[in-house]
Amino acid sequence: MAIRRGLGIGSMYYGIGYGFSRADIGSAEIEMAEDGTTTVYSGACDMGQGVMTVVTQVAAEELGIEPEQIRVVAADTGSTPDAGPTSGSRATFVQGVAVQNAAAELREQILDMASRMLECPKENLVVRHGQVCEIESGREMVSVGKVAHQLHFHGRRAAAWGWHDNTTADVDPETSQGDAYATYGWATQLAEVEVDTETGRVRLTKLVSATDAGKAINPVAVEGQIEGGATMGLGYGLYEQHILEGGIPRTNSLAFYLVPTAMDVPDIECEIVEVPDPRGPFGAKGVAEPATIPTTPAILNAIYDAIGIRITETPITPERVFFAIQEARDRGEFEED
Amino acid sequence: MKQRYVLRVNGRGMEAAAEAHESLLDVLRENLRLTGSKKGCNEAECGSCTVLLDGRPVVSCLVLVPDAADRDVVTIEALATDGVPHPIQRQMVEQGGVQCGYCTPGMIMSAYALLLDNPDPTDDEIRFAISGNICRCTGYGKIVKAVRAAAVEMKGQAGNGGAAS
Repeated sequence: MAIRRGLGIGSMYYGIGYGFSRADIGSAEIEMAEDGTTTVYSGACDMGQGVMTVVTQVAAEELGIEPEQIRVVAADTGSTPDAGPTSGSRATFVQGVAVQNAAAELREQILDMASRMLECPKENLVVRHGQVCEIESGREMVSVGKVAHQLHFHGRRAAAWGWHDNTTADVDPETSQGDAYATYGWATQLAEVEVDTETGRVRLTKLVSATDAGKAINPVAVEGQIEGGATMGLGYGLYEQHILEGGIPRTNSLAFYLVPTAMDVPDIECEIVEVPDPRGPFGAKGVAEPATIPTTPAILNAIYDAIGIRITETPITPERVFFAIQEARDRGEFEED
Repeated sequence: MKQRYVLRVNGRGMEAAAEAHESLLDVLRENLRLTGSKKGCNEAECGSCTVLLDGRPVVSCLVLVPDAADRDVVTIEALATDGVPHPIQRQMVEQGGVQCGYCTPGMIMSAYALLLDNPDPTDDEIRFAISGNICRCTGYGKIVKAVRAAAVEMKGQAGNGGAAS
């Protein structure tokens, strides 16, 4: 066996949200019960990305209550307002702001009533850990639940609605120039590969990913998105191929369409870069798809570093590498061991 | 024609009326309402239906119900004790090994089978043990970390006079 090692870098930027003047809206309702339990009705659907956790954290942070006090009702067309799909790396960036807006309005309702109850100017009050506190002394004055009770007692609401429109201007139809997206994600990955020059087999042995998250609202979830995304990028680079023959899918099961297993994925080192984006909730922006994009280029560059041959087709199957090496040999361009 | 089969599931004798060609997975889910085991591909490729049969991990979609009769079946439902999650379950949550959750029951059963056999596995042994369980969300790293942490936790418990089984 002749194993050669190589390192390669892939970099990318990616438009977050829908861009190009396509509708890109988020909306949420929020309501506080008289024990402080707060329900967020959020249209964003969580298929494992973690948006329900993000919604919980954003609402808790903005309101000044504990995440444990929040319940999220998500993606139920019978009860939640429309927030568009969870796609385009947009859920945190767009829906996060809608939830933040709803929570901010509810907090103002709480502070208005607390100010009346405590006979204290509103600007001297803040909500922390579910308590209305006096800013200067930090003293806890009254729980948010008691304030919600008073709001109801006086026939006023402890509920708010939040909306966010992330729709951008379109680019110039003639020149395609312009700023198509509200913001962009940035990521760079470093791949280390082993190439078996006899069989053409490529193994990814290490991956380091640096991803701009704006602000990591939930770092474990951000890492999960990056590791999962990079794993999809690895599959795209080395294994995954949809083969149609005469219109008939030949790769119609996981036995033929190969996705990475635990034995194919190396240690992935995640570096979360935080450059707060003023348009996202607490500076956050989308990270999901940006993690997928640089992986294949990084692997391709690492293969070039290892064997001096540019592979230009994916997935980079052993056959493709094997024949690329044969062709380079035939041209006298392959450096033998 | 339906026949009655006696299964030992999670230590309890259970009866199910099923066709001989029905899978253990279908009987667990449809007859016994044990829906923790998931039906992903139904052809032994994804691992989300993994259960233990006589202590070995199997994909229950490929086990015919007559072949499971009078043998010990352990499903994900048996792992928690009085509502307290098993260390592997707890660590999966703790370490972020769960995203969409669809692979999780099968993943945990494969890890559970590994730790019964090998209480102190290396990362490579963990990766090998769960290599038949496909996860599309996590990239596996946090799952491996969770199994490793669970192994440490379980060894610690065993060291305390074997209080936890």
